[in-house]
Amino acid sequence: MKNRYIFVSLILTLVLLPFLYENDESRFETWSKNLLCPVCQGETIFDSPSEYADDMRFVLKEQINNNLSDQEIYDYWVSRFGERIITNPQNKNIEIIIIPLLISVIFIIFFVRKVKK
Amino acid sequence: MISTIGLILSWICLLNLLILFFSNNKFRINLMVRFNLLINFLLFCLLEIGLFINDFSLNYIANYSATTTPPVYKFASLWGSLDGSILLWNLILACYFLVYLRYYKKSGENIDIKIFTSIIIFFTSYTIFSSSPFSGCIELSSIGCESSSLLPFQDLVSSSQGRGPNPLLQNHPLMAIHPPILYLGYIGLVLPFVITTSYLFQKDTDSRWVQLAADSTFYPWLFLTAGIALGAAWSYEVLGWGGYWAWDPVENVSFIPWLLATAFLHSSKAQLNESTLLNWNYVLGGLMFLSTIFGTFITRSGVLISVHAFSNGNIGVFLLSGLAIFTLFFVYTGSKNIEYFSTSKKLGNLFGKSGFFIANNILLFVSALIIFIGTVYPIFYENFYNRQLTIGRSFFDILIGPLLLILLLMMIFSIRLSKKNINFNEWFQQNLLSLNISLIISIIITYTYRFEYLGILTVFGAMSLLIAGVKNLIPKIKQKRIKGSYWAGQLAHIGIAVFSLGLILNVTQSYSSEFIVNENSIVEFGGKTYTIDKAYEVSREEKDIINLPISSNRNIKNASLNIFKNSSQQAISSPAIFRTVEYDTYVTIKFIDSNNFKLIFRKNYGILIMWIGLALSTTSFIPKVKQNEK
Repeated sequence: MKNRYIFVSLILTLVLLPFLYENDESRFETWSKNLLCPVCQGETIFDSPSEYADDMRFVLKEQINNNLSDQEIYDYWVSRFGERIITNPQNKNIEIIIIPLLISVIFIIFFVRKVKK
Repeated sequence: MISTIGLILSWICLLNLLILFFSNNKFRINLMVRFNLLINFLLFCLLEIGLFINDFSLNYIANYSATTTPPVYKFASLWGSLDGSILLWNLILACYFLVYLRYYKKSGENIDIKIFTSIIIFFTSYTIFSSSPFSGCIELSSIGCESSSLLPFQDLVSSSQGRGPNPLLQNHPLMAIHPPILYLGYIGLVLPFVITTSYLFQKDTDSRWVQLAADSTFYPWLFLTAGIALGAAWSYEVLGWGGYWAWDPVENVSFIPWLLATAFLHSSKAQLNESTLLNWNYVLGGLMFLSTIFGTFITRSGVLISVHAFSNGNIGVFLLSGLAIFTLFFVYTGSKNIEYFSTSKKLGNLFGKSGFFIANNILLFVSALIIFIGTVYPIFYENFYNRQLTIGRSFFDILIGPLLLILLLMMIFSIRLSKKNINFNEWFQQNLLSLNISLIISIIITYTYRFEYLGILTVFGAMSLLIAGVKNLIPKIKQKRIKGSYWAGQLAHIGIAVFSLGLILNVTQSYSSEFIVNENSIVEFGGKTYTIDKAYEVSREEKDIINLPISSNRNIKNASLNIFKNSSQQAISSPAIFRTVEYDTYVTIKFIDSNNFKLIFRKNYGILIMWIGLALSTTSFIPKVKQNEK
C-alpha cells in the first residue's frame, strides 16, 4: 500500500515538473526548421550546411530581429519560392492530416468488429 | 569479351529459368535452382573482374568506375548504379530461391516454384531486354560512354578512363556493406509472398502457411533493421547533414516494408494462437513484398527527387507493370479464398495477447500508410494543382511520433501477456517496484533535460520497458533459458526502449552554432574548448582532401572537405566527431574563404545510445537460432 502512495506522488511530481521551466526554443529555431533549403535535397535550412541556406538564415534572422509576424515571414518566403519551401504544409493543406485519420478510423472499426460482443 | 560472355550468360540464365518454370521433376528443379544461383554468381564475379581490370568497353564500368577508384569502391561500384544493382538483386534473389527450396518448399505440386521462378524471370528479363550492366560501349563520350548495345559480339570501343562513381558513394566504406544488407532484407520478403500465395492458390488452408510465412519473415526483417540502421549511420558520417534520418522519400519507402514486416511478425502470432485475422495476415504477407517493389519504383523511376535517386532509367514502367502483375495475382489468389477467410474467428478478449497484437497492427499499419501518403502526395499535388509541395519532417513528426509513442507504452505490457484479458490491477501490483524506480529515473532525466510532455511520456515508457524487461530477463539468463520467439521479442523490445531514450534526447536536445575560424583559433562550444590547428591538403589519385585538425583534450579529429577530380559536384564535407555516451560534438566545414573557415559545431545528443539500442534489438536473432537448434 505504501508503494502505491509513492507511485502516485512520483507521477504527480513528473506531471508538474515542466511548470518549473520554460520552453526556450527561439522563434528563429522554429522557423529555420520550417523552411526548406531549395538547392539541397530535402534538408531544412536549420540542418543544411550549404551557402544558400546560410544566406537564407541571415535573412530569417533579420526578419525575426525586426519582429515580423509569422504571417509576414510566411508570405515573404512563399512569394519567392512557392509553397514547397514550407516543410509543414499540413497547416495549410489540412487534407493530408484528415485522410490518414479517416483511414485509421476505418481500420479501427474493421478490427473492433472482430471482437466478440 | 566480358560484355559478350556476360550477355550470353544472362540469356542462358533466362533460358534455364524458363525451363525451370515448366519443370515438375523434383531432381531437375533442385538442379536448376542451383544452376541459376551459379550463373548469377558467375555474372557477379564477371562484373567484379571487369571493374578490377578496368574494362571500359563496358558501358556500366566506363560510366561508374575509374582507374583511380580505390579497391573498396571498385568492388562496391557493382551496386553503385541501377543496372549493376539489379545484378546484385538477382544474385540475392537466386540465393533466397535456394533457401526457399531447402527450408520452406511446399510438398506436392510445384506451384510455389512457378511463382518464385516468374518473379526471377521478371527481373532477369529486365537485364536482357531493357538495360544490362554488361552492355558494351559502341560510342564514346568525352569521358565515359555515350551509347551502348545489348547484343553480344559487337565491335566495342573503350575509353582510357571512366567517369568514376558518384562522389557521395565513394566517401565511406559503408557503401560496401549497407546496400547488400538492405537488399538481403528487401528481397527476403519475397519468401512470405511466395509462401502465402502458393498455399492459398491451392486452397491449402491449414495454419501452416502463416507459421512458415512468419518464420521466413524474421531474418529478412533482421537484415532490413540492420540495413536501415547502417544507412542512418552512413548519412550521419558522410553527408554532413548532422542527421541520420531526414524523412527523405527513399528512407520512407525503406521504412514502409519494415513497419509491415514488424506488423506481420506480430499478427501472425494472433492467427496461430486464436485462428483470427486470417485475411489480414494474407494481406500483410503479400503487401510486404509489394511495398518493396513499390519502393524500388519510387526511388528508381525518377518521379521523386531525393539524395538516393542517383540513377534513372526506363525501369519505372517496367517496375510499375511488374507491380501491377504481382498485385493482380495476389488479389486473385485472395479472392479465391473468401470462404476460407470468413472462417476467421472473432476475438474473445480485447485485452489479451491477440488484442494487443491487433492494436499493434493498427498502429504500425497506419504509420506505414501515413508514410506512404506523405511520400506520394506531393506527386499527386503537383499533377493536380501544378504547384509543388514538400512534406517533410514536421508532418511526420506530428503524425508518426505519437503513434510510435503509444506503441512504446504498449510494449511495457508485453512482458507477460496471456490469451485471457490482462488484469491491470494485478499487473500493476506485480510491477509497482519497477514502475516506481523508472518514475524516479524519469524525474531525474526530465529535470536535467527539461522535457515537455511528449519527452516525459517517452522517457517514462522507455525506462519502464527497460527496467521491467531486464528484471524479467536476468534470472532467465542464469538458467540459460533464452529461447524462442518470445525472447526474440523481449530482446527486440529492450533494444527499442534504449533506442527511444537516445532518440528523444537527440530530437529535443541537439543544437548547433556557427563559427568563423582560422589557424590557432579557439572555439568555446557546449562547455568545452576546441583548438583549431593548421589545415593541410592531401592529394590522392581520385580526390583532394582538405583536412582541418580540431583538438579537444588531446583528442584530435579531422573535419575535411573532399573534392573529387572526375566530378562536377560540390565538395563533400566529412565531419569531425567527438563522441561521448551522452552526446557527439559534430563539426563540419561549411566553406573556406581565403584563410578563414566557416565551421558548424553541432551537439548531437543520444547518438551512441541509439546505436546501442539498435544493436541490442538485432541480438534478437540469438533466441530464434537457439529455438531452431532444438
